[in-house]
Amino acid sequence: MARVILRNVLKNYKKGVLKDTLRNINLDIQDGEFIVFVGPSGCGKSTLLRMVAGLEDITEGDLEINDVRMNDVPPVDRGVGMVFQSYALYPHLNVRQNMEFGLKLKKFKKDVIDKRVNDAAAKLGLEVLMDRKPKALSGGQRQRVAIGRSIVQQPNVFLFDEPLSNLDAALRVKMRIEIAKLHKELNSTIIYVTHDQVEAMTLADRIVVLSPLKDNAESNLEQFGSPLELYHNPKNKFVAGFIGSPKMNFLKGQLVEIGEGKCKVKLNTGDVITACVDASKAAIGDKVELGIRPEHLVSVQHSHATSRLSGTVQVAEHLGAESYVYMDVDGEDFTVKTTAEIPVEPGDQLEVGIPAEACYLFDQNEQAFPRTTKYVRN
Amino acid sequence: MAIVQPKSIKYRIAITHVIMWLFILSIMFPLFMVIMISFRHGNFVTAVGGDDSLIRLFFPSMENLSLEHWKLALGMSYDFTDESGVVHTVNPPFPVLRWLWNSIYISLITSTFIVLLSTTSAYAFARLNFAGKNFILNCMLIFQMFPAVLALVAIFALFDNIGHYIPFLGLDSHGGLILSYMGGIALHVWTIKGYFETIDASLEEAAAIDGATPWQAFYKVLLPLSVPILAVVFILSFIGTITEVSVASILLTDNEKLTLAVGSQQYLASQNKLWGDFAAAAVMSGLPITIVFLLAQRWLVGGLTAGGVKG
Repeated sequence: MARVILRNVLKNYKKGVLKDTLRNINLDIQDGEFIVFVGPSGCGKSTLLRMVAGLEDITEGDLEINDVRMNDVPPVDRGVGMVFQSYALYPHLNVRQNMEFGLKLKKFKKDVIDKRVNDAAAKLGLEVLMDRKPKALSGGQRQRVAIGRSIVQQPNVFLFDEPLSNLDAALRVKMRIEIAKLHKELNSTIIYVTHDQVEAMTLADRIVVLSPLKDNAESNLEQFGSPLELYHNPKNKFVAGFIGSPKMNFLKGQLVEIGEGKCKVKLNTGDVITACVDASKAAIGDKVELGIRPEHLVSVQHSHATSRLSGTVQVAEHLGAESYVYMDVDGEDFTVKTTAEIPVEPGDQLEVGIPAEACYLFDQNEQAFPRTTKYVRN
Repeated sequence: MAIVQPKSIKYRIAITHVIMWLFILSIMFPLFMVIMISFRHGNFVTAVGGDDSLIRLFFPSMENLSLEHWKLALGMSYDFTDESGVVHTVNPPFPVLRWLWNSIYISLITSTFIVLLSTTSAYAFARLNFAGKNFILNCMLIFQMFPAVLALVAIFALFDNIGHYIPFLGLDSHGGLILSYMGGIALHVWTIKGYFETIDASLEEAAAIDGATPWQAFYKVLLPLSVPILAVVFILSFIGTITEVSVASILLTDNEKLTLAVGSQQYLASQNKLWGDFAAAAVMSGLPITIVFLLAQRWLVGGLTAGGVKG
């Protein structure tokens, strides 16, 4: 049970020589929350996690766990448990010994150790594997042992460093659900690092989106919010492009009309698109970028299709339940996701409808204009 | 065989085998010859008694077989009758068993210390960050490239001086010899460091989060995984020490304190080369190496780290 606070955290591996890795990270993580750090590789998400764990020092700023400043406290006294991407099981010890390792170091009584280890094993379905060495376990089993090893320590905060990235797709989904269940059961604070935004969206109470730090940027913390908040109201183009799969489509254009909670954008293609976005802070003629999620595009006959756009089909993928059509719109890639099977061939012209409520709009600094509606596809 | 091979592979394998056998024979030849010399009557390298055919070199006739050299090497005297019928008793000229014991215990102590020292310093080089790390590593390797012979005078002067203050580390002491051997760990440090670097650092991080101090992480996690390389280093340093001549011959002077490698050269005085006695001593000096190798072999197992991490 723990509240974790990061205040103005900065990380620089070699001050004066290297650029900052992380800058101005401010997070207030509530007790029992499931927090996911997400971002492309090189954004410092693992570094941030390791700073919470105490495996990396904090160059500047404060880390507090349960109102105690933890910057200079060694990992073991921070009350954290960590699950590594590589599992990091001790290869020379069997499952039981792996789970006991930390408890024995802390000189717990034998019966306490046995009880905790057996409880954790039961919770994770490891009872029959207790005498096996890690090399005799499958990937998923190893992952469970790694989780078990941190559970027995009864930490205040669980830290997961890309725990599922070494598993195959099917197992990843299974373990994802198990971790979600585990969080419900343990009810403890979890910080989880991943580059997979599906994991982030499905597991997190709140998501921290990090970007690779740009030289003059104030911070590389892009947004901190609930999954749906990030999906519906991304603060900027980076978050909008990162959350959602397939990626959001972006088209350049300029504002031609600004109305009450609505505006019109003339794209470089010449098409004029209506967007339900409050652009009152901008002026007519400003260069903007229109964002539209592939799954929000509709057929031109659809009642929501307030604007339309056409492009040349490049590839069409039919997955049965859904289809992806990759188009070229004025030299830009443009993806359409639809639940219907569209009978198109590469080279065909395809016209799609754009609901005004589904549009996102970004200014020249890639900051989002506030959206006035929340589009739910029906 | 998993890969489809052309038909000629059979002949190629046969040729490979022939070449391999020739290679093995050329390696085994000197050893076999030394063994035969040690069991043959007289102190000659080639066959004697008018029977100098090549085959007799390796398989001497029964009357030429003798255990006289082994008796001397094992500290026993033997009798022989000369042409006039007078019986002579030959006493062992040198304390060969004593030398053997000196060699063994010096090598065991040296190897143990070398393993301890090089493991800990390799850990520092592999895992810790400190100023001048690469510089020190490279220097160590480069200095090690010069043969110890070049430094003999310096080593002599050094231990002469040390002996004035700490007698048991001075000249003509086994302590001094062991100390001088321990200077030769650079190569072992490199070997072990390379092995440590193949072990995922997240294992020690996991140990740190589990509450292990760096020392506990080292000996409870890293060391158990490094047993094969420690065995290799132990064997290598044991062989290196037991066969070392130049430094030992400078530092040791007392006949009783010599190692076998140094002492047995006394058989080969320029006027009187006792090849037979020398051969027996030489074969004997190979025994400890063989035994250490056989004992350490069980630790030379691969795959200790399998399954711990997946990266």
